[in-house]
Amino acid sequence: MTENPIVIMLINMTIVFAVLAILNVFLRVLHAIDPTFKKPEPPKAAPAPAPAPVAAPAPVVEPGISPEVVAAIAGALAAYGVGFSQVKSIRPVDRVGWKGAGRNEGVSKKL
Amino acid sequence: MGVFDAFMISLSSVWADSGFAAFSGGNLVMILVGAVLLYMAIVKEFEPLLLTPIAFGCIIANFPCTGFMEEPGAMQLISYGIKYEIFPPLIFLGVGAMTDFGPLLANPNTLFLGAAAQFGVFISLAGAMALGFSAQEASAIGIIGGADGPTAIYMASKMAPQLLGAIAVAAYSYMSLVPLIQPPIMTALTTKEERSIVMEQLREVTKFERLVFPVAAAILISLLLPPVASLISMLMLGNLFRESGVTDRLSDTAQNALCNIVTIFLALGTGMTMNADAFLTIQTVEIILLGLLAFAGGTAAGLILGKIMCKMSGGKINPLIGSAGVSAVPMAARVSQMVGSKANPANFLLMHAMGPNVSGVIGTAVAAGTMMAMLNR
Repeated sequence: MTENPIVIMLINMTIVFAVLAILNVFLRVLHAIDPTFKKPEPPKAAPAPAPAPVAAPAPVVEPGISPEVVAAIAGALAAYGVGFSQVKSIRPVDRVGWKGAGRNEGVSKKL
Repeated sequence: MGVFDAFMISLSSVWADSGFAAFSGGNLVMILVGAVLLYMAIVKEFEPLLLTPIAFGCIIANFPCTGFMEEPGAMQLISYGIKYEIFPPLIFLGVGAMTDFGPLLANPNTLFLGAAAQFGVFISLAGAMALGFSAQEASAIGIIGGADGPTAIYMASKMAPQLLGAIAVAAYSYMSLVPLIQPPIMTALTTKEERSIVMEQLREVTKFERLVFPVAAAILISLLLPPVASLISMLMLGNLFRESGVTDRLSDTAQNALCNIVTIFLALGTGMTMNADAFLTIQTVEIILLGLLAFAGGTAAGLILGKIMCKMSGGKINPLIGSAGVSAVPMAARVSQMVGSKANPANFLLMHAMGPNVSGVIGTAVAAGTMMAMLNR
């Protein structure tokens, strides 16, 4: 067997890449044949609008908050069973720095 | 003979049998090394769970006249666990039970980053052979670059048992120093724009994939590379415990109680190989320097492939995840996250970096297996 370090390096790196490439192909095949994988359904046509409920007072939305954000908040609240009519106002809380610091703290200490 | 003479003779006999009489300057140096390692573990918190028992083992190994290695007992049993490669596979069982292969399954291309990071192993191997180490010794030294302690110990036990102490200490020291070694290389090899790239969220991985992967990977890799079958099989068995959903108690034992017990024995046994006679040699210094070269080379190679994949994907892959290919789970992935979030506070690379990180564990085991198959006499 060769004791030339360059040859050893070339042979071994080739084998390492080949084995991991085989695993790569296997994982792709596995994903392709996965009988439990549900492909994302195409968006359905919007259902007919429901009859308008009794008008509830709309929450006060501060300028600068996009309708998408309001919709996301409404959706999240609905998931917890809270009606949007109970919301009085939506205003941004400047906590980006705290969020980032919290994430980093969690990553560095808890993992 | 008076009472005083009898007392003095007894006292001198006790002294002659004591460790102090046989205590050498080398033992003192190694006990000081152990104290420094304890300081790093307890005060600096560098991998304290590993470094504390290693450091204490280093101190214990330098008590003369203990007969630890000659007489049956707990210490000899622990040493046999290292010598006969019992502990590394058991540690891998726990590692497997703790590992989430989801990020790897969601993005299989990260396997290549784990492969590229093994380049450091072979740079170090070439350097070691240039310094006069045999090919077997050089392969065991090179595997330090894999940043995988159990694999390094496994490889050293098989290929160069006389270098086990130096290799294990270098491997675990550099693993604990990942947050200091990697960031300068990462910032030197990437631009701020590259480090700021926010990657798309990973797809969801099904239970079917999570169950089939460990079984298939164990079969495939063990058949290809029988020398590392015990490591890979135990890694995948532990992962199957985790993912099956019906072996929660086994998974809990593997990742907590068993892993902690074996970690104590493995780390203490590793420390106990650091006897002054075996450790205080120029070879140890060379091994520690070669380990640093391996580590830096692996980090750089992972980053370079990460940059290539970034270009090929049209800027969708943050090259920083490439450095996580050196294993050191999950420390290297955390470093990718830290450096990425420093460039862009909205960046959250951790789960993306876990893909190369766990593929690095597989890659290091594969590299060890190929070298054992090729070089083991």
